Amino acid sequence: MRFKASLRNTRTFSKLVAALSSLEKIAWMRLDDETVRFTVIPDTGSQVWASLSIDFILDNWTIQSAEPNNTINLELPLVPLQRALKSATNAVSASLRLTKKDGVPILSMTITTSTAPANLPQGVARFNLNPANRVSGNDPYNDDDDGVFAAEPLETNLQREREKVITQDIPVRVLHPETVETIMQPKVREPDVHIQLPPLLQLKAISDRFTKLAIASRASSSSASAANVNPKLELSANMHGDLRLRLDTDTLDVESRWSGLENPQLDPSQLTCAIEDHPSTRFRNEGPDKWATVRVDGKDWSKVLSVGRLDGRVIACFADDHALILYVYVPHHDDPQADDSVVTLVKS
Amino acid sequence: MAVLRFTLSEDGVAVLRDALACLGKFSDEVSLEAKKDRLVLTALNTSKSAYASVAFATNRFFSKYHYAGVAQNRDKFFCKLYNRALLSLFRSRGGDPLHDRERDTTIDRCDVVITDEAGKKSRFIAKIIFRNGITAKYRLPFEVSPPVHAKFDKTEAVNNWSTSPRTLRQLMDHFGPGIDYLDIHAEDDVVNFTCFTEKAANGDEVLKKPLQTSVAVAQDEFNSFHVGEENLHIVISVKDFRAIIQHAAVLGADVLANYSIPARPMQLKYDGDGIKCEFLLMTVGERGAPGPKNKKTRANVKGATGPQLEETVTRADSHAPTPAPPVAPKTSQSRSNPIPSLRPPIERPSQRPPPATLESESLFVPQDNDEGWEPVNIDEGGEEEENARLGWDTTGDLNASALNMRTMMSNQPSAPQPTINNDLDLTQLEPTQRLSQVRKFGLFGD
Repeated sequence: MRFKASLRNTRTFSKLVAALSSLEKIAWMRLDDETVRFTVIPDTGSQVWASLSIDFILDNWTIQSAEPNNTINLELPLVPLQRALKSATNAVSASLRLTKKDGVPILSMTITTSTAPANLPQGVARFNLNPANRVSGNDPYNDDDDGVFAAEPLETNLQREREKVITQDIPVRVLHPETVETIMQPKVREPDVHIQLPPLLQLKAISDRFTKLAIASRASSSSASAANVNPKLELSANMHGDLRLRLDTDTLDVESRWSGLENPQLDPSQLTCAIEDHPSTRFRNEGPDKWATVRVDGKDWSKVLSVGRLDGRVIACFADDHALILYVYVPHHDDPQADDSVVTLVKS
Repeated sequence: MAVLRFTLSEDGVAVLRDALACLGKFSDEVSLEAKKDRLVLTALNTSKSAYASVAFATNRFFSKYHYAGVAQNRDKFFCKLYNRALLSLFRSRGGDPLHDRERDTTIDRCDVVITDEAGKKSRFIAKIIFRNGITAKYRLPFEVSPPVHAKFDKTEAVNNWSTSPRTLRQLMDHFGPGIDYLDIHAEDDVVNFTCFTEKAANGDEVLKKPLQTSVAVAQDEFNSFHVGEENLHIVISVKDFRAIIQHAAVLGADVLANYSIPARPMQLKYDGDGIKCEFLLMTVGERGAPGPKNKKTRANVKGATGPQLEETVTRADSHAPTPAPPVAPKTSQSRSNPIPSLRPPIERPSQRPPPATLESESLFVPQDNDEGWEPVNIDEGGEEEENARLGWDTTGDLNASALNMRTMMSNQPSAPQPTINNDLDLTQLEPTQRLSQVRKFGLFGD
């Protein structure tokens, strides 16, 4: 089993890992000839199945294994990966390699950075502590006009580009194909409504406010502590560009509404049924009062929305009273034609 | 009459605060030693694996400085203070220098007077004068006890390097959380800084292991670099190292490291204007073995769980408000004893000069009182300062290789549980003031 590659798009990769780690600390990473897939399946809450074409984050890769398509399955902790990627942003180059250290498999990231020369040493302005900036002579009351001048180092550019090589070793577990073959992406029926979400930062700000309101109203009306309250938010959309976020509790009922959103056209070639028979066609025909509604856990929803940091286009697919799936299309900076998707699943 | 009085400028207060913050990362207590020409603050950590000292040149650092001395000991005065209290009174009081109005609340200067006289309350009195005309006066109790100084034999430290704190800070930036040790190893033209932990991880825990980071820095990034021995791995505590370079970075002073071989102390020092900082860190490591495998590590680093097996001292708070006996002479007897030093015992006979021991290990306990060498009671930790007591834990097998953490860990179950030393109880004196009494003044933060 071999895996070796250079990293590219480390900033996007890092954001993806950050979004994943808000849901779960350990991910299953599946590599093969064409794709890199990250899957997180928390005990409760939303799952993420993120599938990226391999050239989106890797370059000059070598992937070899005894499995079909050279599949390699790894289990890896996301926090160390994120920390390692932080070192790699702004680096000259970074590469990833699966190896062993003391018999323990690790994903080793080698990063080359170069740092600009030091500016003025810190602290000088404050107390003039740098001997180089000090007036020579130990007597502070000495006359300045003593003909003695402090020697200062020559400022040169000789060491302008300083390279450092950083190795970040992330502990991993190599998973046997049998242990992962039973883990399948959940099958959800054809969605009733699909709609492009408004900017996630906006949606998240409002959702978080609703969640806090719900916790506050619940905590004041009963003795339950805020930590144990899991408020549900009601999210609905129709096929006429409207999205509704609602919080309905015993004491308050608030709602935010977006309109003029896009309901993208379906690609008939991707469908298993004729487009006329698709549930979304029925929802469209029944007019703007036909809503597909799901209830999401406020805290979990907030974590899911952190995927917004990827700046992707997000399409929400509502299966009425059943499930919500978010497809996040991450822009490919080098090649705008190729879209790579991150799939986020929310079950209601 | 005051033993010591000095005045600090606004900048002086800031520098003192930075120094105290750095020392506070080693110990809760700070020892102050005043002489005519210099004022030294020192701290020794509880496992005695790290010693920190900051010396101020009195003529350069203070606006005014007057040392009068005490009757018993003319040439120097020493006391021990609670660092958190000092930090909180010298803390920076808001104030944005860009806004004139807020600047009013910043410290203008600070007058400190230490009084220690029979019939009078011994106090460390700090008067802080703010820009806006308000004067705050703080009285802190202190304990007169001689400081413990660690010594460093510079002649044996054949390896040394010097670099800017910026370089060191840049490499620390790459280290993640959860690491304990830092391995420094030179190879060809690069210097490798590798951090790691020895916390065992088994089974599913493997993924909980921290990120292991190694940074290779070109030797020419150092001002100087002289390490003669090949494959010398020197390992120190990351936490201590981080505290030091943070402070060095604030001073903007180049850091000089001197060391010899693993299990001998490493000296890190840097100087500012009128201030000299020196740190001695216990090292472990390995010689002559390529690669950082099979690393041997001392068991006794702060943060290590379980009872500590090497010489251990609880909070160095001996509850002795009376002037302590003059510094005990370094007797030959103290040399022949298993001396608690900054150095974990090593099995190979050393051809080097006598070890750099602490000035006197008998500073904490009455001399010739073998009871003082009894293990410390760890169960007593509940009451913290109130009940802190001193004692040495010598139950660890001093002849065994204490360098190997695993060996130490396997010794653990057989190590007898420490017992309370009742004799020490009898000799104990009440503190000058109870912490609970002082707390209400809000000096101790939380």
